[in-house]
Amino acid sequence: MKVNPTDAPSDDESGTDGRRSRFEGSTLFDRDDADGEYRTDGGQSAGDGQMFADSEFTEVTTGQRLSEVFYESIYEPFVIAWSDWRTKVGLSIISLYLLLGVVAWVSASELLFLDRITIIEPARGDGPIRLAPFQDWSYPLGTDMIGRDLLAAMIHATPRMLQMILAGAVFATAVATVVGTVAGYKGGVTERSLMTLSDVLMTIPGLPLVIVLIVLIDPSSPYLIGIIIVINAWAGLARTIHSQVLTIREHSYVEASRTMGIGTPTIIRKDILPNLMPYILINFTSMARRVIYDSVALYFLGVISVQTIENWGVMMNIGYENNALIIPEVSHLLFVPMVFVVGLSFGLILFSQGTDRLFNPRVRARGSGTTKSKDDEEITTGGGAL
Amino acid sequence: MNWWVKRTGQALFTIWAVITITFALIRGLPGDPGSRIRDQAQRHNPSMSQAALERLIEARIPASYDDPIHVAYWEYLTSVLQGDLGYSTFRQGDVAPEIASVLPWTILIMSLSMLLMFALGLGLGALMAYKEGSRFDTALTGVSIFFNSIPYYVAAVLLIAVLGYRLSVFPARGTHSDATEPGLSVHFVLDALYHATLPTVSFVITGFGIIALTMRGNSIQTLGEEYIRVAKLRGIPDRRIAIRYVGRNAILPMWTTLLISIGFMFGGAIILEEIFQYRGMGWLMFRSIEHNDIYLMMGTFLIVTIAVVVSLWIADATYGWLDPRIKSGDESESY
Amino acid sequence: MSTHETTAADERAHSASDPIVEIRNAEVVFEMDRGVSRVLDDVSLEIERGEILGIVGESGSGKSMLASSMLDAVVDPGVLSGEITYYPEDGDPIDVLALSDHELRQLRWEEIAMVFQGAMSSFNPTMKIRTHFEETLEAHNYSLGEGMDRARELLSDLYLDPDRVLDSYPHELSGGMQQRTLIALSVVLQPNVLVMDEPTAALDLLMQRSIISLLEDLKAKYDLTMVFITHDLPLVAELADRLAVMYAFELIEQGPTQDILHDAGHPYTRALLNSTPNLDAPLEEMRPIAGSAPDPVNVPAGCSYHPRCSLATDRCVAQDPDSRPVDGDHVVDCHHWEDAADEIPLNHLANMEGDR
Repeated sequence: MKVNPTDAPSDDESGTDGRRSRFEGSTLFDRDDADGEYRTDGGQSAGDGQMFADSEFTEVTTGQRLSEVFYESIYEPFVIAWSDWRTKVGLSIISLYLLLGVVAWVSASELLFLDRITIIEPARGDGPIRLAPFQDWSYPLGTDMIGRDLLAAMIHATPRMLQMILAGAVFATAVATVVGTVAGYKGGVTERSLMTLSDVLMTIPGLPLVIVLIVLIDPSSPYLIGIIIVINAWAGLARTIHSQVLTIREHSYVEASRTMGIGTPTIIRKDILPNLMPYILINFTSMARRVIYDSVALYFLGVISVQTIENWGVMMNIGYENNALIIPEVSHLLFVPMVFVVGLSFGLILFSQGTDRLFNPRVRARGSGTTKSKDDEEITTGGGAL
Repeated sequence: MNWWVKRTGQALFTIWAVITITFALIRGLPGDPGSRIRDQAQRHNPSMSQAALERLIEARIPASYDDPIHVAYWEYLTSVLQGDLGYSTFRQGDVAPEIASVLPWTILIMSLSMLLMFALGLGLGALMAYKEGSRFDTALTGVSIFFNSIPYYVAAVLLIAVLGYRLSVFPARGTHSDATEPGLSVHFVLDALYHATLPTVSFVITGFGIIALTMRGNSIQTLGEEYIRVAKLRGIPDRRIAIRYVGRNAILPMWTTLLISIGFMFGGAIILEEIFQYRGMGWLMFRSIEHNDIYLMMGTFLIVTIAVVVSLWIADATYGWLDPRIKSGDESESY
Repeated sequence: MSTHETTAADERAHSASDPIVEIRNAEVVFEMDRGVSRVLDDVSLEIERGEILGIVGESGSGKSMLASSMLDAVVDPGVLSGEITYYPEDGDPIDVLALSDHELRQLRWEEIAMVFQGAMSSFNPTMKIRTHFEETLEAHNYSLGEGMDRARELLSDLYLDPDRVLDSYPHELSGGMQQRTLIALSVVLQPNVLVMDEPTAALDLLMQRSIISLLEDLKAKYDLTMVFITHDLPLVAELADRLAVMYAFELIEQGPTQDILHDAGHPYTRALLNSTPNLDAPLEEMRPIAGSAPDPVNVPAGCSYHPRCSLATDRCVAQDPDSRPVDGDHVVDCHHWEDAADEIPLNHLANMEGDR
């Protein structure tokens, strides 16, 4: 992402404000303000009489700190995001898939007592052949060429899919965050080499590289496949995080932390990362979508070798190979897995569209109800700000 | 000027890096492509002499496996730069001309898709912004999100099933009819476009949504800018404000989206070409995988990457021309 | 309250003869989630032909809204009511709020032009300065040749190199250059009134001074009436013939500049004078005004300044003061204006006296 060039401050106050909140979601500022108020009110924390009664110097237990971070970087944004219908629907869809994944995992698991619990039987070829969906309710979504239950196959495909998504998304966001923050904060040669690396990787088109790697490595672990799919997808995100770190770095409170002699890792962890959280979250979902798209495509086209039918892409492949496009009787072999793919992708998109508003400072301010005065300022200091 | 040099240097650096990666991948492969060629040649012509075999292998492999790695690397680098990408066992010929013959088709569907996708997305996005909050806006936002959540290859399969087979309005496979003689005739061009319809549409309907939504957001933001208000007060006609003020300033930040789409669509084209049996780079790449043809595979990968690098470089260059701010300060980067 | 405003206005009409813009009972209202936000509350004001009027107030006091009102350019959810009348040199008075879109287009920039705060954001970043001038001339069907000659002359009057500036993009100019260019752009159609909203806010002190003196030259040369809106009282005091002070979306005091500076009647004006840094006055005498400006949704009843006022009595809480004439054109909205001078001494006065 590029720093929007039309972003030029419209006037003194709202310009800087807008910029600040757009990038960091203003959480940290809110918290610092709140901290300051606690202190001056003679409030809660121990730092009362100290000269530098800043949160950084105050001895706060890890638990407190964690709950604070949880509150500002997860709970508050979540409440705001939740007020959007898209977040609600998106999150519900994602949860449904997670539930399917757990159900299938428990059913297939051979771990201790889980071995005996089977909620949904794995698909076996014991049903009628080529049954269309919604005909026989023991096979709600129909069966394939050799009588395997499609619904069971779809559900049992979920855990592998989720493993892949998780591995890919975690890998990409983690690498991007580390590279972006380190480059943004260290500067100098580190910054230049990391950013050049990112630039080069960004330019290489993802899918051809992934195909080449998968053909050469021939992986079977879902985690490894997930990681290969995002092998260079993190680069773009790292670039964006880098530029955001640069922006945040210039803020006064970070400057203050540095002046007080607080080490770089601490500043990154306490001042910078919390502000990037919503942004990282959104990119996590887009990485997840990428893993779904690409992995299903690769299974579908048979680039990834497979042993099982329990995968949406493989099922599509079977349908495709059996001329599901031309023969209406087997078309469900192709369309049922498609619905599953589109459903998850739709859920993720809705979720990220809904959480997108975390970046809109004005909506955010209204949602949390804290920055009332700023809201008014924008109206009263002239139409300009509106 | 400095900015230009930097961009160009980076593009060249990327090309070099990709060639190096390609070399490393080929080199790191188990098995020796030389022996594969030997086997194949011996199968075809068992009476071939040892010396002839060696000559054949040498001719077909840009860098020998017996050489030390730096020599082999230098040999590979120089031969790639001279246009020698190795020998394709599957196509029974040099890789480079094989690729050259299919590349135009990929570029055709890529540029068609890109053009239509952005035209549609930008237009609709601007319209949605102007009618912000209306039923049109809400409905189109929903539609955009929904279409955007369909993978392009799913759209492709659906389009083939419905428009290709069931209704038979568009050809479901191939780049042109067998009966049509390739050439610069009107007939051939129309036929090629006709065959490119479904692949293009697959990209466009699944890709326009995100562009429309981004454009909508940018336009709404731009509409709130002070200079729009000042322009209105100055009496500038609405049409001019819409195009020169809102349009231009809302589109500029979309350049990033464009840059990202280029890489993404080249990747997508590979999948789509396989589904549509469209004889472009992707189709060739899949054939190379099928036939275990390592040089052909790495060749397609290399050329696709270079194509992306060159497109990005062109996009970058034009950005400087569109946004006057870029020339003076390289603060604003296009990534 | 409005009736009293009217009497005050009538009184002024006797002494001052020739208004160019007359604002009566102007009110701007925003519907908000939290309630109705009244960001301009029953303001009446006359701008005399050929004068420089300074409008002073804190940020968030409604002064920008007043400026937008003169051009009927209040931004969208806001609703403007009242009467705005423009008196052309020859011809009938124009009821600004009754104009059609087309007529409004002509009034704006051709008769009344405006310079906004933040010059950078007033230009299209992707268009050369020349294009800004040309499209303005074209939009109003002015001759391009003559118009561009005038633009060049204006730019050189403002000590800019016309050709260099015209061929630049906005971001290539410094803040002061942009501000001067914007002033040239607003005067290029030869308007009679120039309304400036914080035109010097983003500039350094030196640039502020030089723009002030350029404005004086410009006014003389092009026969302009100027309205200069700012939070910076000392700055505008150098330029303006008359001052109007806004507080909480109302005008609370207006009068000739010297009268306001030396004999301000409203406790707020006096506090404002004392709170502004002054080279001559020692720093320890400088006093910020305690408290903060009111919320437009929830303006205090009675005199809106009473929560911050040291002279406030029960009467101020109960009753909104009317405008009272101090002397001549000097009008103030305060129950206790006669006591203000004794209660709140102006610490700059002695020094000012010496200067002038």
